[in-house]
Amino acid sequence: MSTPVIQVRDLRKAYGDLQAVAGVSFEVAEGEVFGMLGPNGAGKTTSVEILEGLRIRDSGDVSVLGMDPATSGRNFKRLVGVQLQQVALYPRLRVHEVISLFGSFYEQRANTDDLIALMGLEDRRNARIAELSGGQAQRLSVALAVVNMPRLVFLDEPSTGMDPQARRNLWDIIEGFKAKGMTVVLTTHYMEEAERLCDRVAVMDHGRIIALDSPSALVRENFAEDAIEFVSNDGLSEHDLGELAGVTSAASQGSAHSIFSSDIPRTMGSLLDLAQERGAPLEGMRVRHATLEDVFLKLTGRTLRD
Amino acid sequence: MNAFLPLFRTNYRDFVRDRTALFWTLAFPVLFIGIFGIVLGRGDDGASYEVGLVVEDGSPAAIALGDVLDGFEALEVTRGERDIEIAALADGDRRAVVVVPQGFGASIASETPLPLQVHFDPSQQTTQQVVIPVLLRAFEVADRALTQTRPVVTAEFQTLQSERLQVIDFIMPGLIAMSVMNGGVFGAIAMVSLRERRVLRRLSATPLPAWALVGADVTFRMVVVLLQTVLLVILAVLIGGVSVKVENLPALAGVAVLGGLAFVAIGFFLGAFAKTEQGFFPIAQVVTFPMLFLSGIFFPLDSMPDWIRPVVSAMPLTYLGDAMRQLMVGGAPVHSMALNLGVLAAFLVVFFGLAVRLFKYE
Repeated sequence: MSTPVIQVRDLRKAYGDLQAVAGVSFEVAEGEVFGMLGPNGAGKTTSVEILEGLRIRDSGDVSVLGMDPATSGRNFKRLVGVQLQQVALYPRLRVHEVISLFGSFYEQRANTDDLIALMGLEDRRNARIAELSGGQAQRLSVALAVVNMPRLVFLDEPSTGMDPQARRNLWDIIEGFKAKGMTVVLTTHYMEEAERLCDRVAVMDHGRIIALDSPSALVRENFAEDAIEFVSNDGLSEHDLGELAGVTSAASQGSAHSIFSSDIPRTMGSLLDLAQERGAPLEGMRVRHATLEDVFLKLTGRTLRD
Repeated sequence: MNAFLPLFRTNYRDFVRDRTALFWTLAFPVLFIGIFGIVLGRGDDGASYEVGLVVEDGSPAAIALGDVLDGFEALEVTRGERDIEIAALADGDRRAVVVVPQGFGASIASETPLPLQVHFDPSQQTTQQVVIPVLLRAFEVADRALTQTRPVVTAEFQTLQSERLQVIDFIMPGLIAMSVMNGGVFGAIAMVSLRERRVLRRLSATPLPAWALVGADVTFRMVVVLLQTVLLVILAVLIGGVSVKVENLPALAGVAVLGGLAFVAIGFFLGAFAKTEQGFFPIAQVVTFPMLFLSGIFFPLDSMPDWIRPVVSAMPLTYLGDAMRQLMVGGAPVHSMALNLGVLAAFLVVFFGLAVRLFKYE
């Protein structure tokens, strides 16, 4: 295997008393889509901005494309593509004007109309930025991240503010990057996005990586079981549910309950008995495989949206 | 890499598509100068011209001549003593002064009638082109009224350079200096806005060098400042009737750019203290507003109390206004031109240095 595109060892960054990144280590291989999953404030953006050369780390070793982003300056920035959160581009410029402007910063640049077509923005080519929908503006900012045809692109929560349809379009685009051999580092708090796109996911919380593996391995390692989900207004506590036959763990968020079991038929039988005994309703009951969301909840006791 | 032109074009597009910015940088100074020009200017159409009449001869002929002048609607005749009327002319309150010399009436009958004396300022174009011809016409009419046989009313012209500028001449260069200041200081808002909208941060993730970004922005501001200055000089002449020293216009453009650079540097410096576009306005107002009144662009410095002089001396607009007034209309210097230019250059260097030190991408 070739040298990793990104190598990070014991990366730390504090803002005053807040330890935003508290000792993070990982590697990203060439051609990989690497996800950083976690709630807001987990340290994803700070980590990624250090890798992009936009923030200076307090300590730790960082190598990106064989360079230290903190000291390599413009030589480094030529080679990577970056998408940042919450950038409000020139509102009075047109889509193709902004792409040409950013292209002019690089010697090697993609054709403006090719990029517009790639992002599905053909009919918005001459629209002003202020007239774009949230999803369109987000796609434009992804387009700007690859205007220099980089080997490595960082996307910081690229699907924020998109409706489900737009999000699926973006996923197709990112899969297209991967197909071209680009390495992609992606932060997200949508577990579905991480499961669909990422070869490996680093689950972050409070500035640390609490798990790192492929999405399916993460689920397999943490849950040998399937989950029964239902809504019940009263009468059933997390403790009661944990006592049911075959249950390995139970989690409740208000009236929404999830029970993980290695023996679904047995657990289901005892759940129905318990509900009947207590006179508790069971609404929207379904059985499903465990997901990254469950992994995150199990590891942190919180959901990704918290 | 050639990002300078695309960035310049971006500034241009951003500017011309922003109606508010267009209004404040172009339409507003035009309105301002238009209002001043109409109120204070020597409007040419339908207006009457103030002419002083000094009658030193009590003859019926002298009185009849006065009546003829009164009869011309284009002339607003004020009668007075010679010294007072000449002084009024020097102050710019009269377009011309006609003196009817003692013995005028008696000389009509003689072989050599005494000529009238007409004093005027030849540098005032409207006087040359309008007032003098009207006076000559009036003398012809008077001539025919006095005798039908031979011309008796002749005029002898005496020129007098007005020593003091008229209000409009004083104020127009000040207005232009003001618009250079506003164009510079408030021009920095574009950079504050880019930072607020995180575009600067996004640009810092590209190989774009900072000098190209700042250079393109400053160059664009200077083009705007120059256009503003040219437009305002033209309006000052057309609406205000200001007689501009044409030979000094290239130097005036140079001073506009130097002043513009100094004020852009001050704007960048102030921009470091504002997180948002909204937050920048009051800061910029606090700095620019006192200068409007204390830097001598609207009110002469010698009308101000002594204790305020140190404040006045600390204001860059004082030096820009003085330099522009000297170049544009030949106003009496407050400071030497070298001092004016030196102080502006010093403001540029100091505040640009501070702005670079305080600069933040976010």
